Amino acid sequence: MKIEKGREISAHEKVDRYRSIIYAGASGDFNPIHIDPEFAKKLGLGGSILHGLCTLAFVAKSVTDCTGDPGSLRKLSCRFSAPVLSGDEINISGSVAEVQDSRGRIDLKVVNQNGLEVLQKVVAEVDA
Amino acid sequence: MALDRKFIGKTYPSFTYDVSREKIREYARAIKSVDPHHFDETFAKQSRYGAIIAPPTFAVIFHACMIEPFFGDRELNIDMARIMHGEQSFEFFEPVRAGDYITTSLKIHDIQNKEKADLVTIEAASKNQHGRDVCRGLYTFLHRK
Repeated sequence: MKIEKGREISAHEKVDRYRSIIYAGASGDFNPIHIDPEFAKKLGLGGSILHGLCTLAFVAKSVTDCTGDPGSLRKLSCRFSAPVLSGDEINISGSVAEVQDSRGRIDLKVVNQNGLEVLQKVVAEVDA
Repeated sequence: MALDRKFIGKTYPSFTYDVSREKIREYARAIKSVDPHHFDETFAKQSRYGAIIAPPTFAVIFHACMIEPFFGDRELNIDMARIMHGEQSFEFFEPVRAGDYITTSLKIHDIQNKEKADLVTIEAASKNQHGRDVCRGLYTFLHRK
């Protein structure tokens, strides 16, 4: 699909109970804060937390689902600002802020079900 | 003890990762992708890439092979219980195809000593078997004091 200024992107992910375990297996990141709810609670977290890179992968997917080509993503960056827990909902929304030299820059907002930003400064660049 | 800024620029031995089609599919399923570029051989053969390609963020898998030795570097004395992932940025070049051999090198890009934590940024740069750039990742971790 064509990337032009103002084009909107939105996606929604419900974080199922075992997502962080499945992602740990696929990514190789078995840090106990992601797979052991008791361990995570001892650290003052509400339970085991989803890998930030999994949330960021959901963002990448929302962008490349829009372009229709996973090879079209050129840049992606963010700051991890709040933990994502199982049962949370992640809402991704954004739009193409500008297109220049065959590149589209997309500014995104990534919030949970309470409107809290779980990622900040989320920017993607794609081939336009 | 604060992370010493003298380690900025320190490099680690490179590592080569063999990309398998099934690992691509496993990772794509984990991020709940249904994109046929990652799953459907017939579709992929007819795509502009001519083969199954990985989701761009698959790079974290071959980068992780490098980041573990960094965390285990005794000279740095990192306590994993105090580490948090703070920021991330990726640049993507050529897509990763099933069957590729990806070689990644790692270096300490920056260290900043802040009041409550040290910020350490490591740069992972990956090339495929043709010597072409695949991905560059900057991982910023907070090491809480």
